[in-house]
Amino acid sequence: MTAAGLARMLPGLATVDLIESEDIGIVGVGEATLPHIRGFVESLGIDEAAFMKATHATYKLGIDFRDFGRIGESYIHPFGSFGEEVAGVGFHHYWLELQRQGLAGEIGEYSLAVAAARANRFTPPAGDSSLASTYGYAYQFDATLFGPFMRDFGIGIGVTRHEGLVVDVERDGASGNVTALVLKDGRRIEGDLFIDCSGFRSLLLGGALEEEWEDWTHWLPCDRAAAMPCTHASDDIRPYTTATAMPAGWRWQIPLQHRMGNGYVFSSAHISEDEACEAIRHSAEGKPLADPRILRFRPGRRRRSWSHNVVGVGLASGFLEPLESTSIYLAQMAITYLIELFPDGGAIDPRDRDEFNRLVDMEYDRVRDFLILHYNATTRDDSEFWNHVRTMTVPDSLADKLELWQRAGRIEKYADGLFYDASWIAVYVGQGMLPRRHDSRVTLADPMRVRNALERLRQEIGTQVSAMPGHRDYLMSEAARLADAA
Amino acid sequence: MSEARERLRRIAIAGGGQLGILTAIALRRALPDAQVVVIGLPPDPAGFADRASTALPFTNRLHDRLKIDETQLVQRAGGSHRLVTRYFGWGDEDQVGEKQNGAMAYGATLDPQLRTRFAQEWGGGRSAGGGASPPGSLAEVLADAGRFAVPPGDVSTPIDQVDYALRWNMPAYREMLIAMAQQLGAQHVAGTMEALQPDGAGGLAAIAIAGQGLIEADLFIDCSGTQAHLLSALPEAKRQDWSAMLPVRRVLHAIPGEPMLALEDRFSLLPEGWLCEFAGRDGLQVTLALADGVSEDAALRALGAGPAGLVQMEPGCAQLPWCGNVIALGDAAASFEPLGFLNLDLAHRQLALLLEMLPGRTIEPLERAEYNRRALLMAQQVRDTLAVHYASPRARQVFGACELPPSLEAALDQFARRGRLPFRDEPALLVQEYMALLRALGFAEGTTPQSRSADQRSVEASRQAFAAQARAALEFTPPYQQFMQQALQPQPVASDLQY
Repeated sequence: MTAAGLARMLPGLATVDLIESEDIGIVGVGEATLPHIRGFVESLGIDEAAFMKATHATYKLGIDFRDFGRIGESYIHPFGSFGEEVAGVGFHHYWLELQRQGLAGEIGEYSLAVAAARANRFTPPAGDSSLASTYGYAYQFDATLFGPFMRDFGIGIGVTRHEGLVVDVERDGASGNVTALVLKDGRRIEGDLFIDCSGFRSLLLGGALEEEWEDWTHWLPCDRAAAMPCTHASDDIRPYTTATAMPAGWRWQIPLQHRMGNGYVFSSAHISEDEACEAIRHSAEGKPLADPRILRFRPGRRRRSWSHNVVGVGLASGFLEPLESTSIYLAQMAITYLIELFPDGGAIDPRDRDEFNRLVDMEYDRVRDFLILHYNATTRDDSEFWNHVRTMTVPDSLADKLELWQRAGRIEKYADGLFYDASWIAVYVGQGMLPRRHDSRVTLADPMRVRNALERLRQEIGTQVSAMPGHRDYLMSEAARLADAA
Repeated sequence: MSEARERLRRIAIAGGGQLGILTAIALRRALPDAQVVVIGLPPDPAGFADRASTALPFTNRLHDRLKIDETQLVQRAGGSHRLVTRYFGWGDEDQVGEKQNGAMAYGATLDPQLRTRFAQEWGGGRSAGGGASPPGSLAEVLADAGRFAVPPGDVSTPIDQVDYALRWNMPAYREMLIAMAQQLGAQHVAGTMEALQPDGAGGLAAIAIAGQGLIEADLFIDCSGTQAHLLSALPEAKRQDWSAMLPVRRVLHAIPGEPMLALEDRFSLLPEGWLCEFAGRDGLQVTLALADGVSEDAALRALGAGPAGLVQMEPGCAQLPWCGNVIALGDAAASFEPLGFLNLDLAHRQLALLLEMLPGRTIEPLERAEYNRRALLMAQQVRDTLAVHYASPRARQVFGACELPPSLEAALDQFARRGRLPFRDEPALLVQEYMALLRALGFAEGTTPQSRSADQRSVEASRQAFAAQARAALEFTPPYQQFMQQALQPQPVASDLQY
């Protein structure tokens, strides 16, 4: 992604060398993304259909969270809104009031994205400001195909690829900057700027530069994943990712065109790797296509993502578990900020480095609080893991958000970073954390009129969803463009 | 199970200027069963928000929401339209000794493709030694041609991306608002405040008005002007001093000149300070903000017209504009010189924030904290936007060096070296507007890495597409005078009271 992004966005300003080794595999999981990925694909000039076909991608309208707030309950966090505000008061306040009176359905019934997801249907959103425009979508794709696709695209626009393993990192004694990477066969690759996309190993940033790591395990205790693909169990392909809470973490199901990705993200302090592998084998809906593989990680981030002349992108700079599909987003934002702050003529200005680190930190911190909410907003007391996350002390920044919600039904507003009102409302309400009070103005309106308006919205959503094709049908009817016929 | 909060029953607004009245309208619309009492107080001569005859495009949106009809405003309150603000003399002199001038238009100003080095050179920008900005704003094209129409909104037109600010005759506008507030059932009490009764919880229980008795309320809104009569009396209240960053202490108003219909207003930098020339159907208004040490004679000469009044001021803002059950808006929350028409714009954005976060009868400390967090960010963004004027190349010579807020220093550095501005929460201007302002003030703009490697064919295509848009916009719009004649034709009056 980084090589392709730099080559496309800064042609003529930098030559890009990509060093990778066939000996290091790509983590073979389905990868779920956020709607931002569409902007990335588009700005590279890649045709969406070609991209989807090459990566066996499906559409994604949100994430279905099961058993998080309470066993047996589920909700969808959609890429879309719930209803509309009325007279300056957010929809959820009216919904809370009607719900108290027993006059409202589930909040998801007032979201087109949720209703379409539940019905396994998909069509792209409208470009106007109608109800059909109130959602977005992302992709679910095969990471083992996505990497090579981006690599080949990058090579096609001028990236030079070097096959080989990095065995040594040369640094300038005075500045500490990295000057060259030495490969196993003795080749030496020099550069002005080095981007560390080496994943958890963080070969340059964590390894050579020993950039300090800020550990977030005390808030996000999951540190392993057992990943395993399986066949589709039914003819339907879900246009959403499923996250199901487990006794020591949660498991994902990511539907691709040709198979389903599964994985159990767990805390090794609460369950062994063998037990996790057994659990993922046991829970797979389709026929396993491989043995489970264990991935090990540590949640947190480097204190500085850009240090000296090394920029960490993706897991090399930080890791947040994939509960909200943020990994590719965080990599994409780092690439975007790097392009904006790309060094002039090879010289790095410390002010640009500081600005980059400020922006990356802001992104990580905001995602972090939102992830912790999924664990903390629960009544589950059926395992040591859930007892721990339910009762742990959360960051102050999150504690204030929780209290503001509980006391007044309000969401702390910020304009940058991920996850706005609708996302917070989806998780709060979905996990059973209703506020104690909501906006006083909702009782000014005649409850029957509000109820009728909500009912009309629900019916209109139902009508529009009924008119959408099934997700699989949509992919197959456009197979020449979107789907891999195989 | 969540329950609706108990609604506010009685709200007292201290200050009967245009902001206090507008607040009363907003609150009566939001809470039709609440008693809203406006306490008329003597106007504050330094209350630049309350005395403003214009704001920024956000106000048009607020008017729509509060059902304040723009057509009526034009017909009954001397309304007119501004597309650009021009800045004269703020930049350094160019190679032939001409002072750099520039303009700031509202809304989207430049196609990113046109912000490349190629386009800047093509447009005769700084590097070509010219002075013209690259042609990238439809509003500027229209202002240059003296043509205008209000984008209809419901059908697609060539001027959909054009945004504008309104001007008005303040006393007439206030009368219009008073009529509407009365129709909506807001009450008015005139008199002098004799005493404030604390509520024992950091707020107020009542205000004693001479001859009127006690005004009790659940919530008090302080629109009393720079003295912040309510807020400043509370134990928690604290003011943030901006005087190290903003140098102006004296503002001189001229007697209004001849009526003037124009789509632009001007801020010129003179050796004595900055001069605002503000067009209006009721007369040209001229204001001079004085640099330190300028003599009265020099000031009067620079003003160019008879003086109407001198205002002394100290810039700053409330650290906590919401304390207890008292919320300060406008001049009571932040006071600063009338540069860039930001005073009333900030007040209106504060009012919108209050409506968004309108409390119940029992106020939650955390909602107060969240309001204060956002309101303070808003005020500081305005402070930075003002401070950037005094950091411009020539303003330093006139006003002396001022302290730069660290956030502004970082922004100017990014603009100068990289052609970008760091994103901030609660900004005073859109990023494109801010960039246009910096150019207009004569700051040299760096280029983005992307622009240095941009494909020149796509830049040329963007330029041609813009030229076509500009032609279509010019064909679509009549001369402003013609537009205004049409707008002043009597039209059927719609009821204000449908809710």
